[in-house]
Amino acid sequence: MKLLEYKAKELFDKYHVPTMRGCVIDSSEHMEEAIDQAGLTYPVVVKAQVQIGGRGKAGGIRFADTAAEAKQHCEALLFSELRGYKVNQLLIVEKAQNNKTELYLSIMLDRLTKCPMIIFSANGGMEIEQTAKEDPDKIIKLTIDPFVGVKDYMAAYLLSRAGLDLSYKKQLFDLLKKLYQAFMDYSCMLVEINPLVIDANDRLVALDGKIDIDDSALFRLPDIQEFAQKMQPDNPLIKEAADYNFLYIPVEDEGSIAVTSNGSGMLMSCIDLISKEGMKVKAALDLGGGATADRIKEAMRILFSTPGVKAVLINIFGGITRCDEVANGVKMALEAEHSDKIVVIRMEGTNKEIGLTTIAGIQNADIVSVPGLRECVKALADRRDRL
Amino acid sequence: MSILIDQHTKLIVQGITGREGSYHTEQMLQYGTKVVGGVTPGKGGQEVCGVPVFNTVREAMSATGADATVIFVPARFMKDSVLEAIDAGMKMIFTIAEHVPVHDMMYCYHLAKARGVKLFGPNSFGVISPGKTKAGFMAGYFFSEGNVGVMSRSATNCYETVKMLTDNGIGQSTCVGVGGDMIPGTTFVELLPDFEADPDTKAIVIIGEIGGSEEELAAAYIKEHVTKPVVALIAGKNAPKGRSMGHAGAIVSADGTGSAEHKEKALREAGVYCADSTQHIVDILLQLKKEGRL
Repeated sequence: MKLLEYKAKELFDKYHVPTMRGCVIDSSEHMEEAIDQAGLTYPVVVKAQVQIGGRGKAGGIRFADTAAEAKQHCEALLFSELRGYKVNQLLIVEKAQNNKTELYLSIMLDRLTKCPMIIFSANGGMEIEQTAKEDPDKIIKLTIDPFVGVKDYMAAYLLSRAGLDLSYKKQLFDLLKKLYQAFMDYSCMLVEINPLVIDANDRLVALDGKIDIDDSALFRLPDIQEFAQKMQPDNPLIKEAADYNFLYIPVEDEGSIAVTSNGSGMLMSCIDLISKEGMKVKAALDLGGGATADRIKEAMRILFSTPGVKAVLINIFGGITRCDEVANGVKMALEAEHSDKIVVIRMEGTNKEIGLTTIAGIQNADIVSVPGLRECVKALADRRDRL
Repeated sequence: MSILIDQHTKLIVQGITGREGSYHTEQMLQYGTKVVGGVTPGKGGQEVCGVPVFNTVREAMSATGADATVIFVPARFMKDSVLEAIDAGMKMIFTIAEHVPVHDMMYCYHLAKARGVKLFGPNSFGVISPGKTKAGFMAGYFFSEGNVGVMSRSATNCYETVKMLTDNGIGQSTCVGVGGDMIPGTTFVELLPDFEADPDTKAIVIIGEIGGSEEELAAAYIKEHVTKPVVALIAGKNAPKGRSMGHAGAIVSADGTGSAEHKEKALREAGVYCADSTQHIVDILLQLKKEGRL
């Protein structure tokens, strides 16, 4: 769950991470009132609350010296679309002025060491990824032993390696402690501040915030659950599939094949083999283990309703998932609506024979049953002219 | 022989009275696994499939002398179950659940390492030494006894491969589900020494995926220490790119770590046969068999 900036800022406020004062609005009429209430002084920055990278370059961050200018920006940005994402809120913050420098700071969960890792650089800002590629020495990485936590010598190390003055040590240590606490309390995959500025008064201030929270931990984070419910899904089918506990993954926009299986490994194998044959997958749906006929039917409906899909490949290797349930679900889906889609099905495992008999009995549908993964791909390739 | 578990392994099941726990206890007993006890707090004194249930792992261990545990509890309770098992002195722990919070696993991982405990999973089918024993939920019937060691991040790709191996007369020494999560308790590189040392394992199969650096680490170890033929598959070459996690993800993988290309390059340089599909793994092993190397 990636938080919008305003939500990340709320968490920063909760942990007393220094940020610029600001307010959130969802209607232009209330802009001045909100700015007054928050006690903001001009100039301000109006920031569109959407989850896209390069928000500044996309025109989602605008500066205003006066209320009139701010109002103009609010009216232009609010409810507009940035790269396909609708802007439902704006964050307005005081503009940080005369900053001495822009740093980069994040804590992420590092897969290699399986520890939280601090990433720090004196070269913060928009070009940080470029710096990582071209000048990796300017990126300082430091793992945190979860049984030790953040210690003040870490702040000293980061500053020293970055060539910054150690007079910032106390401030940086304090900031690291707060970020790490938030990182642990909220089961974060990432807490990122870019840029972290040193302002005119030598204070470290977070000008942006990115927080990514582990979806598997949301059950114990009621405040984040509430936020998640308000978020618009990027694709309505993802949400629809999630309601049935399926994982729906858009693959290639121009694809015409939908694939489904009872595990993500098998899905990846299907996509790899189909792509290798020069065909394109539009979407993949992971059924997980143990799907019943009723749920299979819904999965089929979701895939049939995916725009642009001409063929559906069902590849089941059932341990917990039973082939008879799968076959019944497919039959129900094909009988419920007259579908002109090509259906290729491969089933292996528990109750395979019963399942195959059911599939053979489906009338008036373009369905073919094949024995293996290679044959699945071949069956699709044979029908290439209809994809 | 086999690695990790065999016919002498005494297993307990944490969460034995639950739906999955009781069903798979029956399945494991039928396969021949020595399930000597189970644990469900508050249900001590009961029996499941003739297996005694205890309130705590400590009691189960002292009554049965169990040396391994498989945990069939829901994801949100996994951490507590693992900590209980480690605290009770258990040295081998298999976790199954999907959607375990990564921070929970991070804590368990580091504690297990500090205490010298072998921890497997989560999001894993478990481990099976065909013909001897299994600890997990894999369907036993398509595995067969033999001399190929298999380790896989994906259950379905492993099943697919193993079924074809069995159909082609190639059996397996031990198949390990290392699990598909971000922090697996045990990774490929930690299992390679066991497979290399096992006299009955003649070839090793690695079924990997995009993401992380487990395959790269395995490649580095293979290059220096493994004499047996290794066949690897990296699934997900054409998977949609995960949306980057802020800048940090891109910074950490700035060298290309995690991509299928990067992994295959490292593996090839270590002398590993890279397969492009599960079927191809079988083809390569059949060729090795023909050459008398299996």
